[in-house]
Amino acid sequence: MERAKQTQAEGQLVQDMQAVAEHRDQAALTRLFDHYVPKIRAFCLAAQPGANLMADDIAQEVMIRIWRKAHCYNPELAALNTWVFTLVRNVRIDYFRKNGRHQTNIDSDYVFQEIVDESADPFQRAQTKRDQEQIKHGMSKLPEDQKQVLHKVYLEGKTHKEAALELSLPLGTIKSRVRLALHKLTIHIKR
Amino acid sequence: MMLNYHPTIEMLTDYAAGSLPLTFSLAVSTHLEQCPECQQQVRKLELLGAHIFTNMALNKQSTESLKQTFFDKLNAIDSQRPQADNLLARETLTQHSNNPPEALLDEYQVPSSLGQFIKRNYDELDWVRLSPAVKIATLCEENGVQVALTRIKAGAHIPTHTHAGEEITLVLEGVFSDEKGVYCRGDFVTRNAKHKHKPRVTKDAECICLTVLDAPIEFTGWLTRFLNPIMRRHHPSTQ
Repeated sequence: MERAKQTQAEGQLVQDMQAVAEHRDQAALTRLFDHYVPKIRAFCLAAQPGANLMADDIAQEVMIRIWRKAHCYNPELAALNTWVFTLVRNVRIDYFRKNGRHQTNIDSDYVFQEIVDESADPFQRAQTKRDQEQIKHGMSKLPEDQKQVLHKVYLEGKTHKEAALELSLPLGTIKSRVRLALHKLTIHIKR
Repeated sequence: MMLNYHPTIEMLTDYAAGSLPLTFSLAVSTHLEQCPECQQQVRKLELLGAHIFTNMALNKQSTESLKQTFFDKLNAIDSQRPQADNLLARETLTQHSNNPPEALLDEYQVPSSLGQFIKRNYDELDWVRLSPAVKIATLCEENGVQVALTRIKAGAHIPTHTHAGEEITLVLEGVFSDEKGVYCRGDFVTRNAKHKHKPRVTKDAECICLTVLDAPIEFTGWLTRFLNPIMRRHHPSTQ
């Protein structure tokens, strides 16, 4: 039933993922390429406008990982968009690491492991659906200044400290904007 | 088990967005393995990332030539290295990191996030003795930030010290306490230049911690100051 609720477009993409995993179907990979590559490039270019080579490299590497790891994607656990987002994030980190921004040998595969326990919860997928709806609804109502800091952190790969420097605002202001935004999106639960 | 000390929401957000330095991310990831609460938080923060990613304004630039390049590359790679081997190799890697086959019951369970640096157990590391009760082993360094393990004997204390920068301590085994609280397995403790503290380990067991330090710690006691050159020598920011 969950599958029926997904939009038709995402349903097609999920089928394409299965075709890639099970039959090494390059036509399916082409459809995934057409859907995701423009988004990946836009995501990278938001961080560094004009860095087309970087955007192309990252997009290709993400597609190679999709080709190799399609069998790891489980539609019962996560939306495809979320899974691809985490791939893009990790590839971008690896790219910066190889190209000197991070001088480290830390492997991002170990830093962003899939937590196995979650698969045990049968309600997880339904909960995730609800969370997604709340985020979508909340984002459409967020004031511009709060949206701006979220974009800095997510799109431009800046830490809170870097975002504060760039916007010439005190770190405390950045923190409170992000906290407010996360609170409205019901992401941040006060402890 | 509910943990009492967690990374801040800012740090979790930077982690989920991929903007937190990998050194700090490694500590967050090790905490997540033991904290379902923060796992949920990160899961939601990733949903937010996915939402922003999915709703990017696209430019009109054609990706046709990139597609051609990509498929040429893909076919070249796949003909060099058969796909089956490839998948198999990955699977073996994952399995290995998730359940080390030779882990014995009486041994500590090394978090899988540290699997890149510790294959079997803590004893295999190059431990440097700082005092009869304290040993450290460096795992990695990045941009002057050091990731290390500290191993402290039961009942011992680390002399009073301050931090020039930010320090994260994540308890892997055992229990320690300072003026502010008691910290157990999985607890994520952040200290900065404002704090001066003197951690003590409980008497029943030794304590192993993962530490992320962006500057060497400074001992403040008159007798322990002689340790400062040693701490500096082992810290990447001074090399």
